[in-house]
Amino acid sequence: MSPKLTSPAAVAAMLVAMMSAPVAAADYVQAPGSSLAFATKYDGEVFTGQFGGFDTRLSFDPAQPEAAKLEVTIQLVGTSTGNADRDSTLTSSDFFNVAKFAQARYVAQSFRALGDNRYEADGTLSLRGVSKPVTLAFTWTPGTPALLSGKATVKRLDFGVGGGDWADTGTIPDEVAISTRVYLRPAP
Amino acid sequence: MTLKNTDDRWGSVSQAFHWLIVLLILGLAIVGLTMGELPRTPKYFWVYTAHKSMGITVLVLMLLRLAWRLYAGAPRPVAGTPGWQAAIASVTHWLLYALALAIPLSGWLYDSASGLRPFRYFGQFDMPKLVAPNEWLADRARDTHELLFWVLVVLVALHAGAAIYHHLFQRDDTLVRMLPRRRPAPPVVQDPDHVA
Repeated sequence: MSPKLTSPAAVAAMLVAMMSAPVAAADYVQAPGSSLAFATKYDGEVFTGQFGGFDTRLSFDPAQPEAAKLEVTIQLVGTSTGNADRDSTLTSSDFFNVAKFAQARYVAQSFRALGDNRYEADGTLSLRGVSKPVTLAFTWTPGTPALLSGKATVKRLDFGVGGGDWADTGTIPDEVAISTRVYLRPAP
Repeated sequence: MTLKNTDDRWGSVSQAFHWLIVLLILGLAIVGLTMGELPRTPKYFWVYTAHKSMGITVLVLMLLRLAWRLYAGAPRPVAGTPGWQAAIASVTHWLLYALALAIPLSGWLYDSASGLRPFRYFGQFDMPKLVAPNEWLADRARDTHELLFWVLVVLVALHAGAAIYHHLFQRDDTLVRMLPRRRPAPPVVQDPDHVA
């Protein structure tokens, strides 16, 4: 004889089961092996770089993306593009101005599911004393660690990165491509 | 004056190569030694491009010059030159040729390995990259470029010093035969006021 699922006791039990374990968003911290890179061009020639370091905290449940929260802190000191001259220029006041703004910060709270493990997050990037919206598109691969693989486009001139003599977008485009692979393990 | 080199004179083609490359290397040295002081902004990058482009010009001219030298030969040492001096002069010449090729090549390698931006020859066309960006190689190539330049300075001092020594103290044709031949003295013009 099968149990009657419509009984009030059974419904209550089901609701309790649904609301407890899976609904609570999991908290994650960044695991080793993560990367955060940018790519742009100089005079049509592509170059890529890595930031000095970054740290990610994420609260995320794939079933409830709207309740997620992402916080990334990016160390601008130590930005490296494979050329010491370019690196010193990037950290100078014309670009990141690390003497004044050593870190950038990205905070996103409004996530939406696009299906197929793909999501978009509308966040705010604070860079060089300017805060502007930046959207992060990513795929989520569950696991231990989980993997957030994302892309974003940042308009450098919105943040005053490379102003003055460097402002010509024919030489350096306004849009800088950001790509990231963050391994995430459950927060301790 | 002949185009080809003779036993006792450099022809006009060899002379043109010699003095044009002297001028280019002098300009390259002045720009190369001072451009590092310029502010590192796009406003001044044309100076670097000019230096690189002039260097490639020297490289090409040197290849043509070597081909011409192999075809047209070289004058014999001035009569009375001791064998050891002629030998040193000859070694110096070939070392100078080698440096005038190796210095632009090391500069080009430095540019390629640094991967900073495209190298457009006098802003006209993209030069091929010799290697993929490689910071370690870029540093070695830059050090080599600079070291070879100072070796060149020493050898040029030796070479030019010897030429001046021959001209002023030996009073022979060693220097003069690398100079365009003097025109015949113009006929003396009578000053009409002094016509008797």
